[in-house]
Amino acid sequence: MHSAVVHLHGSIVRFITAETGEAVSKDPGPIVPELKELYWSFGSFVVFALLMRFFLFPKLKKGMEARYQGIQSAHAAADAERAAARAEVADYEAQLAAIKAEAAREVEAARNTLETERQAKLAEVNARLAQQRAAAAAEAQAERDAARDQIHAAVSDVAGLAGELATGRRPSPEVVTRVVSEVMAR
Amino acid sequence: MEAFSYVAAATGLTGEEAKAAQAASSAGFAYGLAAIGPGIGIGYLVGKSVEAMARQPEAAGMVRTTMFLGIAFTEALALIGFVVFILIGL
Amino acid sequence: MIAESFEFPEINAILRWQDIFVSFNKIALIAVAAAVIGIVVFLLAGRKDASVAPKGVRNLAEVSVEFIEDGIVMQTMGKSGLGWTPFLLSLFVFIYLCNVPGIIPLIQMPATARMAIPMFLALLVWVIYNGVGLKHQGIKYITHTIWPPGVPVALKPLVGVIEFISNIIVRPFSLTVRLFANMLAGHILLVTFALLTQALITAETMQFLLKPMAVLPFGMLVFLTAFEVLVAFLQAYIFTILTAVYIGGAAHPEH
Repeated sequence: MHSAVVHLHGSIVRFITAETGEAVSKDPGPIVPELKELYWSFGSFVVFALLMRFFLFPKLKKGMEARYQGIQSAHAAADAERAAARAEVADYEAQLAAIKAEAAREVEAARNTLETERQAKLAEVNARLAQQRAAAAAEAQAERDAARDQIHAAVSDVAGLAGELATGRRPSPEVVTRVVSEVMAR
Repeated sequence: MEAFSYVAAATGLTGEEAKAAQAASSAGFAYGLAAIGPGIGIGYLVGKSVEAMARQPEAAGMVRTTMFLGIAFTEALALIGFVVFILIGL
Repeated sequence: MIAESFEFPEINAILRWQDIFVSFNKIALIAVAAAVIGIVVFLLAGRKDASVAPKGVRNLAEVSVEFIEDGIVMQTMGKSGLGWTPFLLSLFVFIYLCNVPGIIPLIQMPATARMAIPMFLALLVWVIYNGVGLKHQGIKYITHTIWPPGVPVALKPLVGVIEFISNIIVRPFSLTVRLFANMLAGHILLVTFALLTQALITAETMQFLLKPMAVLPFGMLVFLTAFEVLVAFLQAYIFTILTAVYIGGAAHPEH
């Protein structure tokens, strides 16, 4: 037990102190490789490199690649989702446009119907007005004709009487009428 | 180095000691001379690389890699001088 | 005066370590610990649920993987080089974890400041990129390495020698020395300023003046430690990216 402790202590001391005093020799210069260092380091490096080549690195790389693949597929999924959402939006917009067109068409149709109705009503009213105006005009004409006839008759009477009084002979009524008509037409 | 042998003779050093003193002084000269060329070379190289990187920042990675390679090759000369210094001086 | 009492230690006294047990010293311990820490971190990271957003140790591991893939492999080798990610990742993590003890208090020894680790890593990289070149281009790799396409016949001997030296000898050498010397220089700097601080604090003459002055090297020590954090990362990065460049160049010479 005690010797083991001494041995351990000796190892630690040897670890933290370089060769000193008598132990230092100039002989193997600092450039010359030491065989023991050479084979210890060669062995450890070769073990490390072989483990790295056949075991450690492939495992790590596989995990990394799996994760990259996962990230890539997640990206692809996200892209697909985005495209789907875009398509949906486009679809919705197309529907909206269709509905808007439909509404516009209906409004147009209603406006057209109203317009025709208005035109029809307007025409009807105009027709009625024209009719009434025509009737009134006919009536007025008739009255005017009647008044004229009366005036004609009266004037003819007056003229006949006046002629009779002047000549002592009664002028023929045809002549009187013709003369009166000519005068009145003038 | 001549001067050192005179100094050695004047100070009464033995032949062996005079030789060591000469070796030490020439080691210092060896390293100093070996450091001049690579010093200029590395300075020029890094300066040009920085210029290239500033002019074309998108090529900085490639320029840096090549710069390190160039430094490594240039520096080897100074390091050989250092090894010679170790070999003959210490 | 300080100059008399202050003496920089032998270089080996700050670099060589006693055996903890037979042939296993601090450098070996750091190297083994670096590998074990790397394995444990990636093991824990691999066991966490991969489907949720990463955090903690898994985040650390994934950031390092992406750093290697985007910052190193894609920049130098392109998509066809992604198969090299595990090797480059372990290279980067191992070098970084070997560099970082240089700034951890009480450990303060970068394992890469010894020649062993940089050298065997550079040799390993050398073997790998030459192997890759031979595998991808066959025998043409050797001729292309020695004579790049488009070289006039008259120049072939000269270019051949230069290219052979630069591709086969200088590359691993500079790869080794770059890492080793950077970390060693950083370690020596830290040791220097730590020793200066200690020398000023324990000064025996003019204590009222010298003791407060210890703040100056200590401040420098803190600053250099922060700088070494950057260097530890940068050297691991540069070693890895140069490896990637060499392997990529051997596999696809047209790049």
